[in-house]
Amino acid sequence: MRSQPYATVLKPYGRALVDLAKTREDIVCLTGDLTRQCEIDLFQDEIPERFIHAGMAEANMMSMAGALARRGHIPFVHTFGVFATRRPFDQIVNSIAYPKLPVRIVGFMPGVSSPGGPSHQAIEDVAIMRAIPGMTVIDVADAVEIAKALPAIVDIPGPVYLRLKRGEIPVIFDDDHEFRMDRAQVLRDGDDLAIAANGMMLSAALAAADTLAAAGVSATVVNVPVVKPIDRTTIAAVARRVPAVLTAENHTIVGGLGSAICEVIAEEGIGVKVARVGLNDTFAEGSRTAPSLFAKYGLSTQSLVDRAWALLGREGAAPVVEAIPVAEGEYAPV
Amino acid sequence: MTTTSPTRLDAIADRIRLRAVRMVAAHGFGYLGQALSSAELVGALFADHYEPDRDDLVVSPGHYIIAAFAAGPELGLIDEAELATYGFDGSRLEAIGTEKSPIVDLVCGSLGSGLSGAVGFALANRMADKDDARVFTLISDGELEEGQLWEAVLFAAHHRLGSLTVILDANDSQVDGPVSSITTLEPIAAKFEAFGWAAFDVDGHNAEAVSTALASAIADPRPAVVIGRTSTRHGLDVLPPDADGHFIKLPAELAQAAIAELEARLA
Repeated sequence: MRSQPYATVLKPYGRALVDLAKTREDIVCLTGDLTRQCEIDLFQDEIPERFIHAGMAEANMMSMAGALARRGHIPFVHTFGVFATRRPFDQIVNSIAYPKLPVRIVGFMPGVSSPGGPSHQAIEDVAIMRAIPGMTVIDVADAVEIAKALPAIVDIPGPVYLRLKRGEIPVIFDDDHEFRMDRAQVLRDGDDLAIAANGMMLSAALAAADTLAAAGVSATVVNVPVVKPIDRTTIAAVARRVPAVLTAENHTIVGGLGSAICEVIAEEGIGVKVARVGLNDTFAEGSRTAPSLFAKYGLSTQSLVDRAWALLGREGAAPVVEAIPVAEGEYAPV
Repeated sequence: MTTTSPTRLDAIADRIRLRAVRMVAAHGFGYLGQALSSAELVGALFADHYEPDRDDLVVSPGHYIIAAFAAGPELGLIDEAELATYGFDGSRLEAIGTEKSPIVDLVCGSLGSGLSGAVGFALANRMADKDDARVFTLISDGELEEGQLWEAVLFAAHHRLGSLTVILDANDSQVDGPVSSITTLEPIAAKFEAFGWAAFDVDGHNAEAVSTALASAIADPRPAVVIGRTSTRHGLDVLPPDADGHFIKLPAELAQAAIAELEARLA
């Protein structure tokens, strides 16, 4: 793994999709009017004959994608996460998921990474996609995972929801990082608690573990990019050897990663305390920048440290996370 | 296109009605009105235009699947005897169409989404250079209340999907009553035309007129709609005037009278 602050790259998803599509004639690319924002201007330029502009009409786009999949295509459907899940939910259920069609729904700008207010903040997309029978749900953390996830999902028989950060994408993992659909990855080992995170919260979890380690608390950090189907084996094994589990998701704590992990822990009969970091049954709001929202709603690295400290019942004030100086084009955890 | 006498098309429509009455009679109630209003529309389509090996067939409102099932034997797409299983536990002939439904390429229980699927098929045909393939979509007037349908209408016109033919059953019936009493849809033809479609407005119980309009719709290079003006009680005089078009009650005595009326006309 690389160290913080992370270097960033632009359009790793768009590049990876074009690379994959050049080897796979069955891939078609659909957009709901956010082409550059979803990095698929690259696809539009390089493979225009398989690029379909659906306009701002997400319901039609989803049902159309289902029909294209019935004819042997693998549609990758793109828009912001809010518009990819909330508005066309019925179409995703009836036109895609119920017929078990291999449509890949790619929702950008997760959680409070958008300062654009509740209309643009996908805070329950994981929960509602996870509730759909047969839907695979993935929230990746960096450019390396993105590039490795695409070939891993292309041949899944049913539908997939892929949740992606927009804009500058950090490079956290080494190039030889292994992405597996059936495995969460233990990134570091510790005995005092485990932090399970994914997506934009993974780098925050790693940073929180650093701060905790300096204060004498050793944390296991588990990366769980595949929220459904979740890797029960790894999560149960980790939960059995620590006294407490902290989950972290850029999402409401209802129905997402934290809920999925609680389900595993409860069903496996593991008596361990859990705390869930995420939006606590609230909408956020618009702001000038996103990091202030992560801080305000308890999703910052400091919030993770504070919650871990409280979860373990440690005395005194929680250690303070030192800000990492960030140069232009670099990424520090929220 | 084969030439067919009006008499033959009328008989096909009545055979669709008779099969639908028998399917619904087994339960005492059901989606009979949909079959009665669309009998000529589906009959003319099946008899004169639709070729299952070449074309796609979409039934957008799942409740109309009864019409496709009842028309199926006309093209040898389903065994007549299987129709008796309609609506019973374990049958693939479910009362509201599902993924199990035979005959059709797509049927949608959630209203207003079928045309989007048809648009997807038309795009797929274009990408596969299947120039002869047509996509026929049966929709109901109530579905025009759904926004998604108009998203699909816009998309089809912009992308010049001339292989699309919509058969619109304008029976003025939805669950809460006459469509016209709930949402003003008229002028339907002018709306489609304004969106860039060809529109043909016909008496939906004149089977020959329906077939001719379908031929014109198919020939037009634009996506096209044939609007059939229909009634959910047409062709079954024994039905009471206040019969609920969406979900008709058909007790045994009324069912026997209905069967007798249709058998007499087909004799």
